This record gives sequence, C-alpha cells and structure tokens, in this order.
Amino acid sequence: MKVLIIEDNHELADSVQSFLSKEGYITEVGYTCEEAKKKLVSFQYDCILLDIMLPDGNGLEVLRFIRSQNIESGILIMSAKNALDDKITGLETGADDYLTKPFHLSELHARLRAIYRRKQLKGDNIVQFNEIKVNTDTLEAHVNETLLDLTKKEFDLLLYFLVNKNRVLSRQSIAEHLWGDYTDSLDNFDFVYQHLKNLRKKIASAGGQDYINTVYGLGYKFNASAA
Amino acid sequence: MKLINKLSLWYLGLTLIVILIGGVFAYYQVKGEIDRAEIIRLQTLNDKIAQQIESGHRLDIQTNGRPVEIVTLDTSITQNFSNTTESSFYNPDIQHKECRLTVNSYYKINNESYRISSYNYITKANEIFKGLLNSFLAILILLAILIAVAARLVSSRVLLPFNQTLDAIQSFQLKDKKHLVLTDNKTKEFTQLNNFLKEMTDKALDEYSSLKEFGENASHELQTPLAIIRTKVELLVESDINNEQAQLLGDIQKNIEKLSRINQSLTLLSKLENNEYSSSENILFCKATKESLSSFEELIEMKSIELRKNIDKPISVKFHPALADILLNNLISNAIRHNIQENGIIELTLTEKSLIIKNTGKEPHVPTDQLFQRFKKGNQCDNSIGIGLAIVKQICDLNNIHIAYVYSSGWHTLELKF
Repeated sequence: MKVLIIEDNHELADSVQSFLSKEGYITEVGYTCEEAKKKLVSFQYDCILLDIMLPDGNGLEVLRFIRSQNIESGILIMSAKNALDDKITGLETGADDYLTKPFHLSELHARLRAIYRRKQLKGDNIVQFNEIKVNTDTLEAHVNETLLDLTKKEFDLLLYFLVNKNRVLSRQSIAEHLWGDYTDSLDNFDFVYQHLKNLRKKIASAGGQDYINTVYGLGYKFNASAA
Repeated sequence: MKLINKLSLWYLGLTLIVILIGGVFAYYQVKGEIDRAEIIRLQTLNDKIAQQIESGHRLDIQTNGRPVEIVTLDTSITQNFSNTTESSFYNPDIQHKECRLTVNSYYKINNESYRISSYNYITKANEIFKGLLNSFLAILILLAILIAVAARLVSSRVLLPFNQTLDAIQSFQLKDKKHLVLTDNKTKEFTQLNNFLKEMTDKALDEYSSLKEFGENASHELQTPLAIIRTKVELLVESDINNEQAQLLGDIQKNIEKLSRINQSLTLLSKLENNEYSSSENILFCKATKESLSSFEELIEMKSIELRKNIDKPISVKFHPALADILLNNLISNAIRHNIQENGIIELTLTEKSLIIKNTGKEPHVPTDQLFQRFKKGNQCDNSIGIGLAIVKQICDLNNIHIAYVYSSGWHTLELKF
C-alpha cells in the first residue's frame, strides 16, 4: 500500500512513517499544502493521511483539490481540532474517516486498513491469517471453516489484532478502539481482559491456535510467528 | 426596603424632631408674648390708679369696672415696685380650670404706702400646648402625605438612570462577551457609578476572554505534543525491551492516556462554553438512550449489574445530537463505574418531563452538588478524572435542562428535567 502523509509536524510525521514502513507500506510525507498538491498530481497513492491545520492553508482545501483532480485515494483526516464542524465538513467533502489527535498508531493503522479494504480492494472484505478468516462485511469470523459465535466487541477485537499483527497493543488503545471516544475508559481494562479471554476461548474451542500473547506491563500482541 | 422609602422615613423622622423642638420653642414664645402683653396692660392700669389716688379722684370709677384691689400698707416702702403671680383654680361657673395673672404694684403716694393689685384671666398653658400640638400634627401629616407622593414621582425621574444601570448589570453575563451598555445621565454620582461599572466589566471581559483563550490554546497546543509522545512511546514499545523497561513504558502510556483524556475533556468543555454546539434539533431521546445503553450492555453484563429500564415511550427533545450522545454516555458510564461490586442495580426512567438515572453505589465523600465541579470526585482513589459530570452539567445548562443529583440510602439519583 502506498500512503501519503500530509502533516506539518515533522516528529509526528516521522512516527507515522516509521510505523507504516514496518508494515511494509511505501510512505511519503508532504509537510505543506503546496508540497502535498505537487505530490498528488505526480504520483498515485492508495491512501492519504491528512492533517487539517497546515502552515500554508487548511487541509480541507487539499481535500477539495483531491476531489477536483478525481484522485481515487482513500482519505483519513487526522486533526488536533476535535471540532464536529471539521469532522462533518471533512466527511461531506469526501474524506473516508476522521481521527483526532492524539491517536494510537495501531488505531490509525486499523482505520487505514478499513479504508483500504473498502476503497482499493473493492469488495474484498476478507481478512485472513492462517486458519483464521474474518469477513468485515458480514461480520463473521471462521476458524478452519468453523463459524465463531462472537459478540460485536469480540469481532472488533479480533480484527484489530489481525490488522496489527506482531504489534504490542496497549490496553488503552484496545479500550479506546472498542469503546470509542468520550467514554472515560480508564477502568475498562478489566473488560478488555474479559473480552480477550472469551475471544481466546472461542478460537481455541474451534481448534484455532492461540496467537495472542500477554506482553508484560504493556498489553497484548498477536504473535504471527507463533506457528 | 426601597431607597426612596428609607430616605422618606429618615426625612420624616428628622422633621418630627424639628417639629418637637420647634413646638416647645413656639409654646414658650406664645406663652411669653401673651403674659408680657397682659402684664404691661395690668401694670399700666395699676399706674393709672396710682396717679388717680395721687390726684385725689374717687377710686371706684377709676377702676373702670376692673377687679382692682387697693390696700394701704402698714409698713413703709422706699421705692415703687411691682411683681406678678400666676395661679390656676377651678371655676365652678364654667366648670373649667382657669388661669389668673395678678400684677401687684407697690406705690408710695403722699407718704402712704399702697399696694394696688389687678388681675385678668389668661389662656391656660395646656390650652396653648394643645393648640400647638394640633397644628403641628396637622403639619406633620400633611408633610408625610406630600413626601410619600412626591418621593414616588420624583424618584421615578431622579432614580431612572440608576434603575436603568441596575437592569443593565443584572442582565450582564461574562459568557455573552457583550460589553455593558449604560445610558448617559447628568447626575454626578450616577455618572461615576456608570463609569466605574463600565471600566470594571470591560476589564472583567478582557480578563475572562484572555483566560479562556489561554485555556483553549493550552489544550489545543497540547494535543500535538501529546500525539507525538504517544506515537514515540508506541514505537519504543515495539523495540527490543526488557521487562523492567516494559513496566516503565506501560506506566508512561497509562498516564499519557489520562493526560489526553483530561485534555480532551477540557477542550470539549471550553467548546461547550463557547457555544460551538448551539444548533439543536428535535431528537428522539428514547432512541438516543437506547443506543447509548446498547454500547454499554456488555459492560453492564460483565459487572453483573441488574438493568431496570423504562425508556420505551417515544419522547422527542430539542437537543444537539452529538451532545445527547456525550451526555448519555457520561451518565450511563458513571452509573456503571460508581456502582457497587455485587448485586448492583441501574434504573433508567424516561418520561415526557424527565430522565431519571438511579444506581446503587457507595456514599460520595463530598456533597453531591459539588460533584458537578471540575476534578471533584466522590472517591479520590478511583480511576476516573472527575470531569464527566462537569461536562454533563455544562450540556444541561446549554440546553436549559435542570439537573439534580441526590444521594440517599445507597442510591445515586440523577434527574434531568426537560
């Protein structure tokens, strides 16, 4: 996947770039509106990460530019401005999703993958790893053709792990992924553990391997090399 | 008490004192004048009689029918002199007390000593007093009525600028960010008052907006560094680290989380205060409540909390949809978080007039109404940051919803009145 990061903060852009590079994505960074526009007309990207506050203009302006050029990339807005207006304007102008700073990189990645699946893979809504197969459209998960009876949260959790394989996922990031913003989810960690326990049990009973490891002091990891 | 009434009373009180003193003064003046005039008349009469004695006229004629007593004295006097006596006695003919003024004059005529006494009835002291009292009372009553009427007429004119200023301050609110507008007037004191108020409110507005600006900037500017720290730590976590380092990083992550939550909440609060969510539409509150509840269902189940709900009636309330979500999420997550460990209950009742959320829970350490303040927590050691209810309150204020929080015998009750 080829990703363009439009973000004026070098350190943040570096972080995102370094995270996505490890995932094997090709990433480029545009630090200003102008730079971004130049790259957009010259190259093709699968996804664009767009900051709203840029030194030489508003990110929404870039968004309009993208639409006017008929660029088909998926667009994820990431902004410090947690204003509903921006969110609504952004989504109306054609962004695919909206993420507020500060975000978890794993969350960013999950959203990016979701956009990618929807837009670029066009209907290919199957995420598979070894014996585990997840359909993001029907929200069904199979282990070796056995349908798992998962709750919505367990399904989300499994998908989150599958997208962020071999990454340490902090309890905070999982809680936020499952329960979203505004819920003061600091004490939802027990529930993260609970959901995880159930998920592992269900996978195991369907004959699947337990790929999820506990990382001491930090959280959990879907260990793809465990097999 | 109204200012004008107070002034009128003071004025009347002072008038009363002045009238009392004036009354005493008038009494002595009037009495003195009457006495003096009578004494002079009687004295003149005595003198006249003495002259007639000297010239050898017959006395009974010369008294002109007046009661005059002429006594030849045994003792000899060297010089003419006179004195006056006043006496009261009861007159049975008119059934009234009378006051008699007697002037005794002593003369030496042709080597004989005479005492000539003449008297007349004068107005009694208490009659003068009564007359004065009546007239002063009449004056006082007249004054009181006049003051009462005039004060009202005058005050509505004179105090008009003051009342206008009062109205203006009463409707003044820092949050509106509107400068205080006061009408000009010619009274010095009121002009001073208006100038002072104007300066004060302008200054307060300036400081309020700079404080707000600071708060907004602070929380906005914090977001980017927070995002950087969070992503850097996440990258660091991916690297090869030992258990001790993992523990440290875990603690760092936990607190970055807390910091970003606080920041997010404060940003939301300042947005609410700035009326950035002013547009509202009719939303189905029952639907919003159900949706919010469904996202917490698993949590409620895991905590084995019993949920009693009565939210099926279709109820429409004017509300910003995003704010309704935040409001309900905060209230429900609070009801879950601050519930008791075992056999907890949450009760939700939605009617046309109100939404009542009740949950079992421990007694809060601070009075419930203080829990609407920022960073006030019922239980200091729990994991929440203590902004949830402040946000709830702010949202309710924005939508003109009255919210009340009561704790009694193991139940926390939050009632929102639409």
